[in-house]
Amino acid sequence: MTMFHFFNCAILTFGPHAVYYSATPLSECDTLGTSVKAALVYLGTALVKLVCLATFLQVSENDGFDPYQELLKALIGFIDVAGLYFALTQLTHRNISQNHKFQAVGLGWAFADSVLHRLAPLWVGARGLEFTWDYILQGLEANANLVLSISLAALGSLIWLRKNKPKTLIPIIYACAGIVATMPSITSYPRRGLGWHFPKVVGFELFTSLVMAFISWQLFSACQRPYV
Amino acid sequence: MALSKNPGGHRGMQESMYSVIALVFILVACVELCDAAAAIDVYRLIQYDMSGSAYGSRFAALNHHAASLHFPPGADLSRAVLIIPLRELNITFVREYINQKKPLGGLLFLLPDIFSFENGGNKQVHEKEQLKNLLAELEQLLIHANIPYPVYFAFENDEIDTVLADIKKNDAIGQPATATTGGYKLVIPTPEPKKVASPTITNIQGWLSGLKADGDTNQLPTIAIVASYDTFGAAPPLSVGSDSNGSGVVALLEIARLFSLLYSNPKTRGRYNLLFGLTSGGPYNYNGTQKWLRSFDQRLRESIDYAICLNSIGSWDNELWIHVSKPPENAYIKQIFEGFSNVAEEMDIKVGLKHKKINISNPRVAWEHEQFSRLRVTAATLSEISTAPELLQGTGGLYDSRQFVNETAITRGVKLVAESLARHIYGHQGKNVQIFADGGSLAVNPAYIQSWLDLLSQTPRVAPFLSKNDPFVMALKKELADHTDEVNMQHEVLEGVFTFYDSTSARLNIYQVASVTFDLLLLLVLGSYLIVLFSFLVITTRGLDDLISLFRRPPSRKVKTA
Repeated sequence: MTMFHFFNCAILTFGPHAVYYSATPLSECDTLGTSVKAALVYLGTALVKLVCLATFLQVSENDGFDPYQELLKALIGFIDVAGLYFALTQLTHRNISQNHKFQAVGLGWAFADSVLHRLAPLWVGARGLEFTWDYILQGLEANANLVLSISLAALGSLIWLRKNKPKTLIPIIYACAGIVATMPSITSYPRRGLGWHFPKVVGFELFTSLVMAFISWQLFSACQRPYV
Repeated sequence: MALSKNPGGHRGMQESMYSVIALVFILVACVELCDAAAAIDVYRLIQYDMSGSAYGSRFAALNHHAASLHFPPGADLSRAVLIIPLRELNITFVREYINQKKPLGGLLFLLPDIFSFENGGNKQVHEKEQLKNLLAELEQLLIHANIPYPVYFAFENDEIDTVLADIKKNDAIGQPATATTGGYKLVIPTPEPKKVASPTITNIQGWLSGLKADGDTNQLPTIAIVASYDTFGAAPPLSVGSDSNGSGVVALLEIARLFSLLYSNPKTRGRYNLLFGLTSGGPYNYNGTQKWLRSFDQRLRESIDYAICLNSIGSWDNELWIHVSKPPENAYIKQIFEGFSNVAEEMDIKVGLKHKKINISNPRVAWEHEQFSRLRVTAATLSEISTAPELLQGTGGLYDSRQFVNETAITRGVKLVAESLARHIYGHQGKNVQIFADGGSLAVNPAYIQSWLDLLSQTPRVAPFLSKNDPFVMALKKELADHTDEVNMQHEVLEGVFTFYDSTSARLNIYQVASVTFDLLLLLVLGSYLIVLFSFLVITTRGLDDLISLFRRPPSRKVKTA
């Protein structure tokens, strides 16, 4: 039963990535290379973030919400943004439209994030006899993260790759990008400060990721319209 | 540009591949690193063979679902472990199950805290006696039965109480735990129990020499004081035997200390040698005592005037018994009994004399003095027990914990024995002389008694599981060496009538498991979620036609005519 449970949680965590790749035109345009490169960039970024966190962050005894530490974590989170910038602009991609480029990068990014953060706990924990809801919730979190990564990639591509944007939308784009980039810090406040339980936190993440995805979709399609 | 990167990178890639493969192997190997809902220490029912017949619990490994006493009638328990707290025990129910050999996956008994040394505080008094008697009855039932499934004992604590409450709730709904309905699973991963090879029993003796007058070549007479120190109970790691016979051992050590004070000064040294014996093998018809006596020189054996054996003197109020096997009319017996009675009267203690004849053909040895009597040495046993115990009864089992022993009783017993011995040694019979008066330098030391009693109540002493150089045995030897002139240890092998098996304690893991149906349902839900997601994405990015076309067979290519 336990391998069965592990299999279930694995397809919940990694299935949507595969489904996204095969369902959208990404599979037709053969953007696997882009996704893989984005995943590798994510690994590099994660390493840099780890070093920075280890150097600058203090380990607190209690699990409370420390605003100063969270601020520091948010700043280090911007390294994520830098990595995404690198992946979107500096890597050579084959001739794929901008539309597909950000999706491929976002997909690779989210996949690497899931593998790095969720595969090991899943392998060690979900195969045991003891049953907890944690791994299913973790899978849902991975789904939310996928949506968030794709919206961040969309906003990033809007900021760095599209040259002509309607002037009025620029501050909104930057604001949304800022919110999505600091989403981990925003979710840590309910988790630590308010002491919400894991299911509530995951629900919050899913909700916010859908909202941000909707907003970024609207922004993206607004910028698509030929600007007169 | 892109091509030149590869050759140098290849080697690096290979090395990292090897390390990744190694990491994968390590990860595959760590299977059960998960934490359980609860993990507690459990102690297995003793497993032994006596004269070829098997007794006790014959299995150790456990991997079954948990059930409580509220199971629905008619439920199949052959793959379930019954968790029974002692407070809710119905002894007839258990007896029925065992005698009718009903199939059961396992039994787990939960003992209240008062039977454990660390937590036994001051709990309600009236319950204590009831629980003690119930536990004694349960123990006797279990050690004389042949049980083909694992039986374990554990102490109640918060974790297991919550688990048990949960199980009871599930059982009350009528949903006992099986593979398809989830619940709790109890797992004890121990290997099969193996025989204990050559169990040793160790006798420790201490010799205090008496004062030989100048020119006297005869052997001084000897008085022996003996107590057996090992125990036998349903769960060997919990068989501390505070009363049987921890009280006897403590009393012996205190008497040795008092007489060593007296004998250290030649002016107060008596004309008797004193032989202190701490014997093992008590529950097994005093096998160790027999071997110890057989090892004596004939002259030494003949020089023993009499021997006093101490057995369970820790929980009496006003009455003690002296058990003898020679008839009470015998002059020596009369002398011993009168000596004790006189001192007892002064101390407000009632001492009775009980005579039990020895039947040479019967191998059963109920009291330690009988081993002396079989070799024609006068001996008596001082005990609070009035009737002779049966085999493996009253040998310091689970119920015999520190809670039920009274240090004052031991102190008074020590004073009684020491005073009687001293009056005999120094020839003050009948005189009202207090040698070990309270408050004097030779007073019985209650702190000494208490500290040794506490130590004994924390040390399980089942002989087959005590090695030759066990630290406790060494401690007894050292203590006796402090109080006597010469200490000897005798190592023997426990006779072939008894065979013991190991694997006496283990760690129980309680897992909360989900049923198979739950995972199947989850698979269904996830499958439909992924299919919905797939269709949603295809529709939004490629259009509905594309989705439908996935399911249509591709139309046969029509040759396009120009």
